[in-house]
Amino acid sequence: MAISLMQQPSRKIPDARLAGVFALMLLIISLSGCATTPSLSAEASRTLARDTLIEDVPFHGQREYQCGPASLAMALAASGVDVEVDTLIPQVFLPGKRGSVQPEMLATVRRQGRIPFLLEGGFEGLLGELAAGHPVIVMQNLSLPWWPVWHYAVAIGYDRRAQQMILHSGMTPRQRTDFDRFDATWSRSQRWGLVALAPGELPARIDVSSGMQAISNFEDVQGPEAALPAWQALAERHDDAAMPYFALGNAWHATGAVDGAIDAFRAATDRDPTLGAAWLNLGLLLQAQGRESAARQAIARVARLPGPWQERARRQLD
Amino acid sequence: MKRLSRLLSPLLIAALVLGSLPAVAASPQTDLVGTAEVLEASTIQQDRERIREVLAREDVQRQLKLQGVDADEVKSRVAALSDAEVSEMADRLDQMPAGASVVGALFAVFVILLVTDILGLTDVYPFTR
Repeated sequence: MAISLMQQPSRKIPDARLAGVFALMLLIISLSGCATTPSLSAEASRTLARDTLIEDVPFHGQREYQCGPASLAMALAASGVDVEVDTLIPQVFLPGKRGSVQPEMLATVRRQGRIPFLLEGGFEGLLGELAAGHPVIVMQNLSLPWWPVWHYAVAIGYDRRAQQMILHSGMTPRQRTDFDRFDATWSRSQRWGLVALAPGELPARIDVSSGMQAISNFEDVQGPEAALPAWQALAERHDDAAMPYFALGNAWHATGAVDGAIDAFRAATDRDPTLGAAWLNLGLLLQAQGRESAARQAIARVARLPGPWQERARRQLD
Repeated sequence: MKRLSRLLSPLLIAALVLGSLPAVAASPQTDLVGTAEVLEASTIQQDRERIREVLAREDVQRQLKLQGVDADEVKSRVAALSDAEVSEMADRLDQMPAGASVVGALFAVFVILLVTDILGLTDVYPFTR
């Protein structure tokens, strides 16, 4: 009796260990999400190029911890700004964290005179930008959520036949990573991606409000003259939206082009007759030009619109 | 930070109120409604927002200094952040992922990551590719 009691546990331990390892593996797989090949919509699958590689993105190998500055240098060079990694390190690297955080990646792009757009549309959006010739800085967690290894790389192409992503990553130029492995590591950053473009160029996919936000943030840093081409491009892309024309009007006005500003504010009110701020700005500019009756007409529109500018318009009319 | 806010807030309110007076007084000279102003909705909230922003920017400057950023870089780095980015950094810089890629520290969980690498879930060790 005593002997069998002694023996039983020793027989069971290997089973328990095996079961434990098995359970752990199941847990890891279930928690980290299975590596499934990311799928494309039927439309994207038909229209997207089979493969693409943006040839003219120079490679900068990262030194320890410096994948942020190195990725920025590569993406900026592709957009026409030649800047050394060593120049970018003091602008974006955080010695205390031994890495670079996402908001400062965006801020550094602004400081270099380029507009940072956050990638839209996940995996499909990423392939779309690459097909349009825009390299994308992606943030990956190469490891598991519990022991994160956060990493920035630059996606420069893809190969749908081989199901592979092509990245300038770490010390490896044109590294090929399977779609499913790439997406597993990328999804841990909520598929964060950054496109750095010269003012006047827009990402392949950009909606009005995020475009407005990106360009307005750039304008705060670099001024209206630098942002002007970007507003023009956004207004052209979303010709039915009023806000880009409103912003374009303000940029024209700030650079001293009153006629351009008046045209743009008119375009904004045509597209959205309830946009009080555009009527008000239009009226104020017409007034400054001495076109009193046209000015009063425009300002009267605002005075009738409930909203934050109503008060000011009424004062203006008195 | 709290004491600093208590000291700074009344000063900032005064500064912003005084700052906005001349603009009202000199109204007919084309002082247009700005783009950012419209993007940010109502005006009363804006003043409160602006005070918070100014405080958040100071806070982030202080945090960057603590992280070891050069004193003469700190100002321009914070200036290039948007308002939303500043408040995000003020709130949770310590939890933010910082892209760096240091594999050495992960030796302890080598075996687990090796298996997940082979399964295609992670990309830590290049030789599994």
